[in-house]
Amino acid sequence: MQIFLRRKWIIAAGLLPAVLIYTMFSIYPILSSVYYSLFKWDGFSPKQWHGLQNYVNLIGDGVFWQSIRNNLYFVLFSVLGEIPLGLYLAIMLNGKLFRRNGIFRTVFFMPVVISTIVVSLIWNMFYNYQFGLVNTALRAFGLEHWAQNWLGNPKLAIFVLCIVVVWQYTGLYMVIFLAALQNVPSEVLEAAELDGAVGLKRTWNIVVPIIADTIFASVVLCISGALRAFDLIYIMTNGGPSHSTEVGATYMFTQTFNSTKYGYGSAISTAIIIISFGLIMISQFIMRSLKR
Amino acid sequence: MMQQLQTKRSLSAYMVQRPRTKRPFSAHIHRLVLLLLLVINIYPLLWMILNSLKTEQELSLNPFGVARKPMWSNYIEAWKVAKLGPYLVNSITVTLASVVLTLLVGALAAFFLSRFEFKAKSFMLVYFTFGMLIPIHATLVPLFIEMRTLNLMDNRLTLLLPYTAFNLPITIFILAGFMNAFPKEVEEAGIVDGCSVMGIFGRLILPMLTPALATAFIINFLNNWNEFSFALVLISDSALKTLPLGLANFAGQYNRSYTLQMAGLTIVLVPTLLFYLSVQKYLTAGMTAGAVKG
Repeated sequence: MQIFLRRKWIIAAGLLPAVLIYTMFSIYPILSSVYYSLFKWDGFSPKQWHGLQNYVNLIGDGVFWQSIRNNLYFVLFSVLGEIPLGLYLAIMLNGKLFRRNGIFRTVFFMPVVISTIVVSLIWNMFYNYQFGLVNTALRAFGLEHWAQNWLGNPKLAIFVLCIVVVWQYTGLYMVIFLAALQNVPSEVLEAAELDGAVGLKRTWNIVVPIIADTIFASVVLCISGALRAFDLIYIMTNGGPSHSTEVGATYMFTQTFNSTKYGYGSAISTAIIIISFGLIMISQFIMRSLKR
Repeated sequence: MMQQLQTKRSLSAYMVQRPRTKRPFSAHIHRLVLLLLLVINIYPLLWMILNSLKTEQELSLNPFGVARKPMWSNYIEAWKVAKLGPYLVNSITVTLASVVLTLLVGALAAFFLSRFEFKAKSFMLVYFTFGMLIPIHATLVPLFIEMRTLNLMDNRLTLLLPYTAFNLPITIFILAGFMNAFPKEVEEAGIVDGCSVMGIFGRLILPMLTPALATAFIINFLNNWNEFSFALVLISDSALKTLPLGLANFAGQYNRSYTLQMAGLTIVLVPTLLFYLSVQKYLTAGMTAGAVKG
């Protein structure tokens, strides 16, 4: 190792390309968005100093808060839907009943690898008023009056989207938990699997503490993932009807590129980052106190 | 060691097998639930593929079931109308170029982060972790401005560097995590043989890294292949658009001809699924190391 220690420049040179690309196209944009958020700017004419006015406007902007609320719905559905369901599937697939059936794992992970655009367009048709599967099924069961334009109902649309998110990403958490479970000594799991009626409950009680760290990491992942939601909404509802499915990213997009308020859009970007880290910190805090 | 493990296992198997009662009732419920979920996962895709072969009229009359006479012409028309050919070429170019660059740069960085001790090491690790936590869409607007300033918009290389930047953190973590397990003897052997630092990296480490590189390749590939929002903002020249962008456009323009849309989606979906099925072993195995999506 002695020979390497003298060559600090080699370390620097080896890290340089990665650090450079990553800094320029991931970190610098974030910092510059804080800077742009202090201006009134249409993106073309000279910037006008605006101080914190963008943020003052943001705080008074009802649509912004609605979009944050929708982001929180996404976080909630993801954390409370994808993680328990993923954990259940992982426990099942790791157990004796299904261990040999590779097809379950393959199929449950499949939606994760499909492009969100394809997923959105498929589910758009699924929810279609006329021939969509949901309405056709309702009509077939004589529940005609329940059939409706699912994505056009401002009260329901956001939850309808949440279902798609859970459908798409549960498999990811299943695979992560499955990987964690495979490191758990099999005796522990087999002992837990012993008897039927309370089997799952017991497995749950024994397994959850063992892979607690993985679950914590998944919650963080889930939160940052839910705040990234953009493609799905852009394709399925574009934030409508009347902003009822707007999320931070789509609102930022329309404010910047459709209303050409670059400064305001940058303020929304900055707010998303702050909220995202705030949520991650809160979740860490909650989980740390749960652990005790 | 192995033997010990085996005795342990058989011991526990013995304990488990005590009175061999019949399958508990709950097992049937779990089986039912999992089968139901299986159907929920497959059916939307199957439904679309089956319907892509119908006429518009048949779709609205009979959205379930198989087409009476399969309309293969839907596929030919979708391929032509949606200009899937050029989009496919663009997607493959951008995706592969970014993956190769990410793996090269990422493997090099991971090598130094994993195999060397230096002062800034823990800072660098935190710095790269940060990239996995930021909501990446928050960079849409500033990145757009940056690319415009650098005059990099609407170019074959436009998406190369952003895609590389977004995937570097996870790539570095997968590769460094894998390399951490290599014994110190690797470098020592290299020094004895008179290899330079780069020689050790190229001749000794890289070949050992192949399984992790495969996983990183697949994750990178899928991320770039499916990426939509940055392509949407940074590419406006329709000759340079990627597949997700092209699909979204196509669906917007032909928003009344659903069977055509379904055929177009199927054309894109099937190769992705085939790719997934052929590489899934590496993918799910490697998720352990990173345990993170891009």
